Amino acid sequence: MNFLNMAMLGGVLAGSIPLIIHLFHKSRFKVVKWGAMHLLTAVLRTNQRRLKIEQWILLAIRCAIPVILALMMARPMWQGAASLLGNRPTSTAVLLDNSYSMEAGRAGTSNFSLARDETQRLVGELKRGSEAYVFLLGEGAGLLDESTRDISRVTQALDKVGSGYGVARVPAGLEFVAGVVGKMTEGTRQVVMLTDFQRLSFPASEDKAFGQAIGRLKQLPVPPTITLWDVGAEVQENIAVESLDFSKLMVGVGQKVQIRANIRNYGETARNDFRVKLKVDGRDKATSQVLLGAKAQSQVLFTQVFDTAGSHVVEIEIEDDAVKADNSYLASIAVRDKLPVLLVDGAPGATPDDLKSETGFAQIALSPFAAGKVEQADLIQATVVPAEALTAKNITDAVVVVLANVAKLGDEPLKALEPFVRQGGGLLVFPGDRTDPAWWNGAFGNLAPLPLGPLAGDLKEGAPTMGLTSQRFDNPALEIFNDPQNGTLSDVAIKAWYRLKPSEHSGGPEDPIILARLDSGDPFLVEKPCGEGHVIACATTLDAEWSNLPARPSYLPLIQRLCVYLASNIYPPRNLRIGEQLVGFLPVASAGKNAVLTLPDTSTVEVPVVKKGERGVVEYPQTRHPGLYTLLPPGGTPIHYVVNAERSESDLAKLSASEIKSLAKTHGLQLVHSAAEFKALDKIQRYGHELWKWALLALLVLLFGELILQQKFARGRGKS
Amino acid sequence: MAHVSDFLKPSDLQRISNLQVLARQVVEGFTSGLHRSPHKGYSVEFKQHRQYVPGDEIRRLDWRVFARSDRYFIREYEEETNLRSTIILDRSGSMNYAGSAAGGVTKYEYATKLAACLAYMMVHQADGVGLTTFDTRIRRHIPPRSKVSHLRVILDELEKGEPGGETDLGDVFHDLEAKLHRRGLLIIISDCFGEVANFIKALAHFRHARHEILVFQIWDRDELEFPFKSWTQFDCLEQAGVKHLLDPAMLRQSYLENLATFRESLIRGCRRHNIDLVPFCTDEPYANGLAAYMTRRLGRR
Repeated sequence: MNFLNMAMLGGVLAGSIPLIIHLFHKSRFKVVKWGAMHLLTAVLRTNQRRLKIEQWILLAIRCAIPVILALMMARPMWQGAASLLGNRPTSTAVLLDNSYSMEAGRAGTSNFSLARDETQRLVGELKRGSEAYVFLLGEGAGLLDESTRDISRVTQALDKVGSGYGVARVPAGLEFVAGVVGKMTEGTRQVVMLTDFQRLSFPASEDKAFGQAIGRLKQLPVPPTITLWDVGAEVQENIAVESLDFSKLMVGVGQKVQIRANIRNYGETARNDFRVKLKVDGRDKATSQVLLGAKAQSQVLFTQVFDTAGSHVVEIEIEDDAVKADNSYLASIAVRDKLPVLLVDGAPGATPDDLKSETGFAQIALSPFAAGKVEQADLIQATVVPAEALTAKNITDAVVVVLANVAKLGDEPLKALEPFVRQGGGLLVFPGDRTDPAWWNGAFGNLAPLPLGPLAGDLKEGAPTMGLTSQRFDNPALEIFNDPQNGTLSDVAIKAWYRLKPSEHSGGPEDPIILARLDSGDPFLVEKPCGEGHVIACATTLDAEWSNLPARPSYLPLIQRLCVYLASNIYPPRNLRIGEQLVGFLPVASAGKNAVLTLPDTSTVEVPVVKKGERGVVEYPQTRHPGLYTLLPPGGTPIHYVVNAERSESDLAKLSASEIKSLAKTHGLQLVHSAAEFKALDKIQRYGHELWKWALLALLVLLFGELILQQKFARGRGKS
Repeated sequence: MAHVSDFLKPSDLQRISNLQVLARQVVEGFTSGLHRSPHKGYSVEFKQHRQYVPGDEIRRLDWRVFARSDRYFIREYEEETNLRSTIILDRSGSMNYAGSAAGGVTKYEYATKLAACLAYMMVHQADGVGLTTFDTRIRRHIPPRSKVSHLRVILDELEKGEPGGETDLGDVFHDLEAKLHRRGLLIIISDCFGEVANFIKALAHFRHARHEILVFQIWDRDELEFPFKSWTQFDCLEQAGVKHLLDPAMLRQSYLENLATFRESLIRGCRRHNIDLVPFCTDEPYANGLAAYMTRRLGRR
């Protein structure tokens, strides 16, 4: 109990006035010499006790009236046990939503800046000695590493916080904060979440994860009060670049690459001439206009040729709107000069480009422009080596090695092949009539994805052939065939094939994965991860001897993509999601030195290069901020990495007011919409409810009660 | 020497001079008066014929009837007698109460005036009147006489008396009965405070002795209405040291209920024994009350 107007409490002394009046009256009595005493004594005898009690009751009520009046005027506040803690420091954890949907706003003020200002104020107004912790929902991390009593540190750090981060993962954030709050020391705890209640972040009020997270907070030994703060206005109109795809997995210098951007309009307004810009390495390259219906999606296609090898940054940019973070989409692409592929021919022809040779078709398919003497650049530079002439040097010079109908390899090349694969090299194996199953299943067994079984099918003219099962391909090399426009593998006719015997799954990282199957159910393409690299084995030959594959239009993309896919394992991914680890492979010579990483906010960090196997590796896990990261290896050329936020945030749809209310109600949370509301709520929590209304009610009850009781008592009950 | 004018105002005297106190039932007396006598004798007013029985006086035979009917009849006459009335005046402490409404007149003063008035009326209609004053016991007993000079004796006694002591009507009346040899009219002037049952029992005793009884109950307005408001200490007029300090407003209702019960039981008791209970309140002129009662009584005769 607390009083806003302490001075009025003095009025409680007025409670003694009725008592004084009572005593005064009692002392200044009249004396009457009375005759009819027998009438009076009889009444007194039966009523004395009652009279005494009634007098006391009336006196108590009369004394209570001025006391309550004084209390009422002193404006009492009730806050239960909290009353003792009203002015004590608190442990406050704020969950600040800085996901990029918070960039939306009205009248030039983004919801985020509103939320940040309110957080600043909230933290700034904490009582002396309070502990504060701010968790950034968009980043999924705390503003500072741990809670602090140095409030100025928090407010300073808040000044630097921006929005435009990834999706706000509310349950995860609450779980994290529950851990932090559990370690905070002040007894009065509060958790405040400032968010725009984007539908995406709050799927439904009965959401399990959210309920569990709230449950964790409430199960703390000293549970905090949890307040949801609905910040800012809902904005409907938003256009976002959803994704950016390249037509090729790997791009060579001078090669045409198609860049496809998906643009989505989340708003209700259709746009006829929406401008989409392509930028490469920061320079405008092309502009396109698209038609964007309301709530519709559209694709923009750009063609780009890269003149130089190395790391390039491609950016799709659209017009400014409420949410800036999704107005551009960055992608890093590695442009290679040449991709050396070594074709090891187990049955060479008379000339290197003899189509009768085992690798004839493959060579043309890998370097079609060179074969056709066309003035265009091939990415892949295919070299053919007869199996007998293969050396370890041949292998290490290449990025991908293709073994075609090789009976067996000599010890030296085989010894070189395994570390080559384990360090990220690609191996593509096609068996044939010369292949020695004993060698395959024996010495080659470590690398072979599956053991070679018996030969199946019939090579005779007119014998039935086997097709490929129509299926959806998950492997990036085969993904292209999911779209029938890009060709199909289902028209392939295979006369003969080896039965690759599927082995038991061990659950290990090097378990073979079947990429494609024949209609008979036998594996057709099998992939086996092997260290950093991969081995892919086919069940049939590379040439046209056992199948009509080389004659199909799908042969060229299949072979090319398989080689590029196997080669791309040399580079760790450069297009990352928020929180994914940034990894760079550098020459082993740079191990022990530091590489310089430029972060999106243009600050730089030094990252050590660590020797792993035969190369130097750079690792940087804190990719919390979306944007461009540039890694400058010691004495090398810069490598670009791009971290993109998930674009689902672009859907600015907000929970309806009733949904927010029911969310708060279901989980027993407080809900505020403004600083004033929060302050009022905080005041009640801190200092309690004003009680003067109840006091007034009590006063009226007492006044009427006194009147009624007096009448009733005077009328008397004793009819005796 | 007390004089009637000490007690009664000329206006009051004028008011009652035309009234007569008439006994409603037969009374025994010596001289002829206004009242019926149980003794049949020679008189003017014929009462009835009765058949002669051996032993009757021969002289009382109605010879005319005998001449007409040849049968013996005794002629009986109604004998008129004078009324022997005794005023029994309560001189207990409670009669000393003087309420504000009465203008300082105590109940006793009021009662003496009433008694004087009655005595005056009696004497003037040539009836015998006596006076008995009592509190816890009989203080003075003046037997009834009808001489005019006797009035002075009564008035002297009335003037002398000063109320005090407790009331115990039951015992007093028991003693008194022994002193009343002949039946007559008993006029009790009292506030009748005390045990109702005892009082009624005592009255019943008198009634048994064939006395006619009139009770003039004297009230003060304060006793009837209990109008006290502020804290008051009630000191008992009859017993020294008995006092109650209380808030009268709180008790008023209960008191009035108790009072009503008391009066009701008194009225019921009196009615049962055919006794007239006449309440007087000291703030009303006694002559009015008396006149009203007497007129009513005359009408009922």
